[in-house]
Amino acid sequence: MSAETGLRLPEIPLRETVELVRIDLPPDQMELLLELGVLPGCQLCSVRRSPAGDPIVMVDGSLLAIRREMAGCLCVRRAESDAA
Amino acid sequence: MAARSGRSDGYPSHVDPGPGGVLEADDPRESAPLVALVGPPNSGKSTLFNRLTGLRQKVANYPGVTVEKYVGAVRLDGDRTVNVVDLPGLHGLSARSLDERVTRNVLEGRVDGLRAPDALVLIVDSTRLETQLMLAEPVLELGVPTLLVLNMADELEKRGGAVNEKMLADHLGVHVARTSARIGQGLEEVRQFLMGVADRGRLPSRPCPALAVEEKGQALPMLDTFVERRRRVQEVAQLAGFTQPSTSRLTEKLDAVFLHRVWGPLVFLVLGMLVFQAIFTWATWPMDGVEALIAGSGEWLAVHMADSWLRSLLIDGVWAGVGSVVVFLPQILVLFFFLGALEDSGYMARAAVIADRLMYRVGLQGRAFLPLLSGYACAIPAILAARTVADERDRLATIFVTPFMTCSARLPVYALLIAAFIPEQPVLPPLLGTRAAALLGLYILGALAAIVTASLLRRTLLHGRPSSFLMELPPYRVPSLRSLLLRLVDRSRIFLRRAGTIIFAVTIVLWTLTQIPQSGSGPPPVDTSVLGRMGQFIEPLIEPLGFDWQIGVGLISSLAAREVIVGTLGTLYGVQEPTEGSFALQEALRRDLDLGGAVALLVFFAFALQCMSTVAVMRRETAGWKWPALQFGYMLALAYAGAYLANWLI
Repeated sequence: MSAETGLRLPEIPLRETVELVRIDLPPDQMELLLELGVLPGCQLCSVRRSPAGDPIVMVDGSLLAIRREMAGCLCVRRAESDAA
Repeated sequence: MAARSGRSDGYPSHVDPGPGGVLEADDPRESAPLVALVGPPNSGKSTLFNRLTGLRQKVANYPGVTVEKYVGAVRLDGDRTVNVVDLPGLHGLSARSLDERVTRNVLEGRVDGLRAPDALVLIVDSTRLETQLMLAEPVLELGVPTLLVLNMADELEKRGGAVNEKMLADHLGVHVARTSARIGQGLEEVRQFLMGVADRGRLPSRPCPALAVEEKGQALPMLDTFVERRRRVQEVAQLAGFTQPSTSRLTEKLDAVFLHRVWGPLVFLVLGMLVFQAIFTWATWPMDGVEALIAGSGEWLAVHMADSWLRSLLIDGVWAGVGSVVVFLPQILVLFFFLGALEDSGYMARAAVIADRLMYRVGLQGRAFLPLLSGYACAIPAILAARTVADERDRLATIFVTPFMTCSARLPVYALLIAAFIPEQPVLPPLLGTRAAALLGLYILGALAAIVTASLLRRTLLHGRPSSFLMELPPYRVPSLRSLLLRLVDRSRIFLRRAGTIIFAVTIVLWTLTQIPQSGSGPPPVDTSVLGRMGQFIEPLIEPLGFDWQIGVGLISSLAAREVIVGTLGTLYGVQEPTEGSFALQEALRRDLDLGGAVALLVFFAFALQCMSTVAVMRRETAGWKWPALQFGYMLALAYAGAYLANWLI
């Protein structure tokens, strides 16, 4: 198990699906993420990067563009089969 | 036919039915029940609204377009009617931003002149059912009869997704309909629900249903609320046999280009050039047509009317003045056609992503890009659209710089001066000619001013860190021609109404001022008329910019609205050279202005806040005169300095 490896979303290579563990953001900035389905436990997958290098993330069939500063606040966990 | 109501005024939460609006006292519809249309951004609310009411309403394929509220009547079988109000798209009811607060107020019946809704239609994009259903729970808690509309069902099926709406209805305890509003499928079920609402009539007046207040300020309770809700939503979706559709192939392929490190920004630039080139090339023949029509009708009048003051007023004043503005309608329509197509296709959201880094550097929030972009049409809806920007400092910075974005009222002024002073030559054939390049340059100049100003503001008066950027990228969709054309009709109406009211009134006043004081034999030479003296009075002030008194009169009159200057100059030159066709405007300008003066005038218009409506809206949106006064003074100073510099350099 790699529960708390301190991995952040920008460190994950493109096309790898990971699970969101924690959001390190103040509540007022977290809320929109939550409403858009970015919740602890959800599956995230960076599908590409914007020309400026910000991740474009697929969550539940929606594409979200997230500034990399914000993506850096998303702590994630690799799928267990990969960690093994 | 129903009239659209819900106008730009309405701060903070006031729906004004307006004169001749939908809620007149003797109108049978007055007693009709009210249905509110709610849903996340980009779920197709506005499309459904248009389909139901047959009204024109701005529909765009990017989040955050509907900030004004639109009310329309839906006529049903057997002469039954319900009123429908279209609300801003929202992801939650946290009342974080101004437009979420507006939506809450409407749902809770706290809006003057608008009753609490008797039923709700909650519309969601069925291809993203799980996320979108997160909104269902707080909405259903209101306890008002609700229809859940699973929209974009055609897309869901095409991409191999599935959902059983009957099971979903059972588990949620509400009616569920399945639609594809864009192609008009499944609307019968929605109409049937509305029939039921009409038959039941209005709900008895009741205490305001209060929305659950989500725990604010504390991360954990909020997080728990969402996680819990999410679990319940997933459970329901699963029980209803929801299968997530595969990702859109088209979207992936297009994004691979439009968001490509190299191609992305390049496409962005080429599209920009294309739009400006089209404004000059596509619009040529319809402009010639409109021009011929106005000149022809003016000549017909001249022949058929006796020589009198009325003939002079009509031909030299109104025809020359209003006519010279109306000529620019085709160019404005070309601009709106492109803006509309880019919005509806989903490209604009990608453009926002490409522009975001720049926004971040100057300290603006990424969400501010969309309001700023709509500033290319008109600053007023753009300032209202900035209500989607949650942080107050972010919002103030955004609306302060919005009038720098080149609104369509500047287009007639730019187009006139460019056509008069810049010969057409290829620059980047076939993509770009000198005229389009000049126009593009002016748009860039405005955008640069906005960027520099925003950056200054964020370092001084509105100090603070820019907040995060998070934006949904909707799937690409082929824009519907019907919706595009409806929007162009709407635009033409707005433009012609302005020409028929403001510009018409200004030309009459100006013409009158050129006719006094009357000497024994008739009107004075324009130089010695009241208007001429007024212009000469301010001439010393504008002489350093390379403008003569006639331009000065134009500048003063354009304080009402920018394009008025074109009408003013049309009238002024029309009076000076009566009966000579009213479209010698370009030649007359070339006589009065040299190139330096012309460029100075263009720069002046790029920067100055010559729009009283914008000032009024700014006052309302900032609840005071401080910001509009500062904005007006700052923009005027910048305009004067910029024009002076341009005239001195050239």
